Amino acid sequence: MEQEKIESADKYGEQLNELAKKIEQGQTESAEKILDEITRWREDSLFQDLGKLTREFHEALQNFRIDSRITNIAEEDFPDARERLNYVLTMTAQSADRSLTATESAMPICHSIKERNSALKEQWGRFSNRELNLDEFRVLHKEMGKFFDGLDEDVPALEANLNEITMAQDFQDLTGQIIGRVITLVDDVESSLVNLIRLSGQHILSEKSDGPAEKERDIESQGPMVPGVDDEAAMVSGQDEVDDLLSSLGF
Amino acid sequence: MALGEPNMKILVVDDFSTMRRIIKNLLRELGFTNTHEADDGNTALPMLKDGDYELLVTDWNMPGMEGIDLLKAVRADPSLAKLPVLMVTAEQKKEQIVAAAQAGVNGYIVKPFTAGTLKEKLDKIFERMAAG
Repeated sequence: MEQEKIESADKYGEQLNELAKKIEQGQTESAEKILDEITRWREDSLFQDLGKLTREFHEALQNFRIDSRITNIAEEDFPDARERLNYVLTMTAQSADRSLTATESAMPICHSIKERNSALKEQWGRFSNRELNLDEFRVLHKEMGKFFDGLDEDVPALEANLNEITMAQDFQDLTGQIIGRVITLVDDVESSLVNLIRLSGQHILSEKSDGPAEKERDIESQGPMVPGVDDEAAMVSGQDEVDDLLSSLGF
Repeated sequence: MALGEPNMKILVVDDFSTMRRIIKNLLRELGFTNTHEADDGNTALPMLKDGDYELLVTDWNMPGMEGIDLLKAVRADPSLAKLPVLMVTAEQKKEQIVAAAQAGVNGYIVKPFTAGTLKEKLDKIFERMAAG
């Protein structure tokens, strides 16, 4: 750069000396020629600079568009997605809790019906075999009345609990939509990153990659297997395969 | 108290309270009511050390101390070494199951699982323990 400036200053200096000489000598025509030349130089470098500026401006715009998308993703979309996924977590946990609470309150009712039923059944069997005396039959009659009354309360309670479990499934629709949007965001991030790499790091792409580094120890927890994503050959597909594998180890 | 008795003391370790609740409910249905909870190995280990537990049911993937490390710690502690350990986990890599077996697990259940599977594995553990 410095070298260029010195050279061009030298060039102008020579021409200006020449110009002064021609004017002193009264050679107006030659002097004008030299002036024209100087002007042309000036214009040439102006156009060159302008071209360079235009190109830089174009690239900056191009980068800016990708940069601003990525900035936007990092500043807004990611925190937004995190919030949404947290909401999914909360909703699924709430739903599981609601269902479990309903089951836990329905279970003792079932147990109680089962117990009362089997006691009655035994007496009923004795009655059928004509083993009950009149007093015992009166007791059985009273117990059966109580059992029927009890069912009038127990069955609606069971129905309410089953309804509660059904209603607790309403999260699926909402969480499904939220997860769908996050998947769209992930696609968006992927294509923005690919564009960025294409623009700024072609040499990285063309260099042969060393392959992914050894990701993790096999023994470390991997989380649930996702069909089509995880290496299914290295996984068991269910309890039967676990049992087979363990029994092959002498379990 | 003999293994498999309704009152046997069981520790259920899982970082998700929902899963702990499900396992506790299933155990209750199988007649086991003396169940306690911990949310990872770091919480579970001190409980096990002074709790007279007779069975440990643990997840693998947990923050803090993972289930496999809890299993190893249990086997390394002379007072706990013989404690039956049932792993209930979403981890289904063959190497992991082999590693759990080598670390001395007594049963391995992959999630999602059924009440029937839980009963079957528990029965098997109790049978083995009774046979010595």
